[in-house]
Amino acid sequence: MTRTLRFREALREAMVEEMDRDDRVFLMGEEVGYYQGAYKVSEGMLDKFGPKRVVDTPIAEAGFAGIGVGAAMVGLRPIIEFMTWNFSAVAFDQILNNAAKLRQMSGGQFECPIVFRGPNASAAQVGSQHSHAMEHFYATIPGLKVVAPAFPADAKGLLKAAIRDDNPVLVMESETLYGVRGEVPDGENVVPMGKAQIARPGKDVTIVAYSRMTHVALDAAAALEKEGVSAEVIDLRSLRPLDEDTIVASVERTHRLVVVHEGWPYGGVGAEIADRVQRLAFDALDAPILRVTSLDVPMPYNKKLEQACMPQADRVVATVRRLLARGRA
Amino acid sequence: MAKILEMPKLSPTMEEGVLSTWHKKEGDDIGVDDLLAEVETDKATMEFRAFDKGTLLKILVAPGSQVKLGQPVAIVGAPTDDLSAFASLSAATGSPAPPKGEPAPAAPAAEARPAAAPAPAPQRKPSVVSVLDRTSYAAEAPVGNGGVSDGGRVLASPYVRKVAREKGIDLHGVLGTGTGGRVVASDLESMPAQAARGATALARVPPAQAPVVPVPAGDEPEIRPLSPMRKTIARRLTESKATVPHFYLSIDADAAGLVKIREQINAELAAAAGGKDNGAAAPLKVSLNDLIIKACAVALVHVPECNASFTPEALVFHKRVDISVAVAIADGLVTPVLRHADQKSVVAIAIEVRELAARARARKLKPEEMQNGTFSISNLGMFGIDEFAAVINPPEGAILAVGQVRDVPVVADGAVVPGKRIALTLSCDHRVVDGAVGAAFLAELRRLIERPLRVLTG
Repeated sequence: MTRTLRFREALREAMVEEMDRDDRVFLMGEEVGYYQGAYKVSEGMLDKFGPKRVVDTPIAEAGFAGIGVGAAMVGLRPIIEFMTWNFSAVAFDQILNNAAKLRQMSGGQFECPIVFRGPNASAAQVGSQHSHAMEHFYATIPGLKVVAPAFPADAKGLLKAAIRDDNPVLVMESETLYGVRGEVPDGENVVPMGKAQIARPGKDVTIVAYSRMTHVALDAAAALEKEGVSAEVIDLRSLRPLDEDTIVASVERTHRLVVVHEGWPYGGVGAEIADRVQRLAFDALDAPILRVTSLDVPMPYNKKLEQACMPQADRVVATVRRLLARGRA
Repeated sequence: MAKILEMPKLSPTMEEGVLSTWHKKEGDDIGVDDLLAEVETDKATMEFRAFDKGTLLKILVAPGSQVKLGQPVAIVGAPTDDLSAFASLSAATGSPAPPKGEPAPAAPAAEARPAAAPAPAPQRKPSVVSVLDRTSYAAEAPVGNGGVSDGGRVLASPYVRKVAREKGIDLHGVLGTGTGGRVVASDLESMPAQAARGATALARVPPAQAPVVPVPAGDEPEIRPLSPMRKTIARRLTESKATVPHFYLSIDADAAGLVKIREQINAELAAAAGGKDNGAAAPLKVSLNDLIIKACAVALVHVPECNASFTPEALVFHKRVDISVAVAIADGLVTPVLRHADQKSVVAIAIEVRELAARARARKLKPEEMQNGTFSISNLGMFGIDEFAAVINPPEGAILAVGQVRDVPVVADGAVVPGKRIALTLSCDHRVVDGAVGAAFLAELRRLIERPLRVLTG
């Protein structure tokens, strides 16, 4: 059986179920309690669990991220909510140098079972400083796991898996996905990390995306179908570990690959995928691997420029057309 | 520091040109503005001059080669420069323009896919977005030296190489349909594996070019590659007929007066020239066409609505009367423009048209001398044509087609007498010139032709 839930409700269910299941789990962050969550993800949780397990913090990301890491070291399982991932920049040291390193530097004496979560990448006209796709910075760090669900069912299932994992896991959500509805299976349904899913099967080209860009890729695939192009859309779900098997198997069928993500084109998840596919599936490629990313500028505030800057379905369609183009360009 | 000289844009519409003659050879010193080469463009034979001084270290295209805009043609630098960095630019880039009269190695598409020619340097016209988007270049600008070079690297995707290995297909000499001539997987589907080994089925006999009907030996058609001018003619006239709504108006004018005044003018000119005894130069004569050009110019002043162009935003009514005169030359035609024809005497027009036509036949017209006319005249009277309709020369709004002067019986005062008539057909762009306007222009033109003194007096 399934129920239709909004993305934010699915996240809340994951946290509530895990907090019911394990009393070491707690939620901490700005406005998560009395305000019911900046984006209402934690609505009702303070009433249910009380202020010891749903902890409002000052505006001090480095502080509460560090407290979370310390709590994880001594046996608790914190969920740290960043109001947005942009603000994690001031807590970067805690994530990079403490959360990601403790297990290795302590020779396995300490574990760090912590979840950092919050909305990531562009929203709607929040300006250049609040529109970062932070997953590219974090997915490069060994010692972390990074997930980026696109659908409510995966949001719930991956967050549950993240809470149960004994390593730091970063959950990349999206402000503009919080209201999106989707079918969510009843019961446990923990989604394994490191496993992508084929969101739409196709045979002419593979489009890899994650988080909100999965929806953009699906729109592009629908438009391409009208042109007679059958595009396979792979929803990565996890960025680290990366499910290269699913990508490679798809490229071996379609022989063409486009990667779509927010964030800048220099380096990042798309570049990583391009590297792996050209190594692992060199003989399967019938065309260069192309990426569709945000443009190489700080995000503009102006609405039209912002839209032009973000990857859109029409840019994905144009990129696929270029991959399939014939004759001398 | 040695650098590459690329084929420059020598006319506004130029996309490629035939480098007809080198005026410098390897090792020559070059000064700023020295004539390096002559290039036959779609418009004319143009001079390719040096922007910088230096030494011509290496010539990369042989005379007679067809060269795309931006394609390297030579390396210039100091005599001591090391050219090893340019080793990939073989001495034989550019496709030799096949000798006339001999069949080209492959029919029309040979032009588009020269068998041994590297692809031109990729030409990007980056938009702001494409500059900011650093992810999308690869498929537009394939790496490698493009296509297949003899003995060189085959441009094929990794997948194609794998399939070719498995099927035993030799990719050597195969030119694919992917960007830059890259062989892509679907190209292999049309290649039978057993026939493919050692063969070049795809490259030399593409399916589209294979003769459908067997042609008896000796009757093969002569294949002439498109010259730059022929391509321009094809492109512009197709564009005109496909996009400009033509309609045609014809009128017959009494040409007796025109013929007579021409004889009078030429008699005067001969007398003047004889008096001065200016030697071998052919005596200047005014042609009927010169008189008709002048008559048209005056008629356009009187009916300015016909001296107009259509643009998507607005109608443009010209204040100047610049008449494009169609001139037949070997392998085509050009339309040099006679500026301010309304302000010039018939004799001045005669001199200028003769000079323009001579330079047109020598392919020495400058591109700007063939641009920005406001109205065209095409006269096939000298070929015995009675009347015809011409294709508009965009963005001009109309073109006048002039036939020969015919001797016809005419009825005057109830009696049949010998008369002279000339047929005038106006092709109009209906978006800017309506029927009534075109008719008014032709009526005015006929009035002028039938009262030729009015032509001279304006």
